Amino acid sequence: MTDGHLFNNISLGGRGGTNPGQLKLHSGGILWKKLGGGKAVEVDKADVIGVTWMKVPRTNQLGVRIKDGLYYKFTGFRDQDLSNLFNFFQSNCGIAPEEKQLSVSGRNWGDVDLNGNMLTFLVGSKQAFEVSLADVSQMQLQGKNDVILEFHVDDTTGANEKDSLMEMSFHIPGNNTQFVGDENRP
Amino acid sequence: GDNRSAAKTSTDLTAYKNVNDIPSGRDLMIQIDQKNEAVLLPVYGSMVPFHVATIRTVSSQQDTNRNCYIRIIFNVPGTPFSPHDANSLKYQGAIYLKEVSFRSKDPRHISEVVQQIKTLRRHVVARESERAERAT
Repeated sequence: MTDGHLFNNISLGGRGGTNPGQLKLHSGGILWKKLGGGKAVEVDKADVIGVTWMKVPRTNQLGVRIKDGLYYKFTGFRDQDLSNLFNFFQSNCGIAPEEKQLSVSGRNWGDVDLNGNMLTFLVGSKQAFEVSLADVSQMQLQGKNDVILEFHVDDTTGANEKDSLMEMSFHIPGNNTQFVGDENRP
Repeated sequence: GDNRSAAKTSTDLTAYKNVNDIPSGRDLMIQIDQKNEAVLLPVYGSMVPFHVATIRTVSSQQDTNRNCYIRIIFNVPGTPFSPHDANSLKYQGAIYLKEVSFRSKDPRHISEVVQQIKTLRRHVVARESERAERAT
């Protein structure tokens, strides 16, 4: 059994940056604990509905999507950790982790993909970045072609980044057919 | 005109070829990679690169609570002197990231970032327009 795998130096990513911690895989699911105590994330294996992994600079990132729409991103897995991770999700959740690729070309044009709460900006079908719509306090249309997302200003989430994303807007040219006629979505 | 052709070639510039080429930053903050002509933005715990040629303007401001804000506006089609024709023909149906703004805890860092982006951008645009001129 691949029970009780422990991974050190795994950070949980989110709105306010990243928090270092430790991730444990056990027969019941996943447990991540913040270094030095405090925040913990517990996921029951029955709640896992999707798993992704992606090579990010010098390490690997695991994405775990759960039933209620939440999506956790854990970063810090070595290449040799991947087979353990894959085996775990395969045998415990019956889910084969899906690979995603990171775009590093530096372009600002691509596609927008909406899945649950996550908005993903894709460049050449590779992921450039992801934001959670759960953190969006206001979404507004400007003119016919621009969508503005304003993010919650929250100083209590333990933000450890120096610069925090406040607002982001997308330009959807008139010839785009993906989101025509739906004013509630970018 | 010159502006147009310069912008056209700029859109083909690539910041990085491989994932591991992205510099390791200790802190989650806006960084400039002069060598690769990239601006790295912290979004949800990841550093996201943008080639400086995709940037149209950058500005900063400070409010009364000593909060500092930086706003970066990217090139999108349909604005004067932007690579409208090249992009909308080449990347039909694309969605553009138009603007981002960040709040910073460090005003000095932000004014450095604004200066660095402006300088780098000016340098790249000048080089590309020179290259375009030589090509014609």
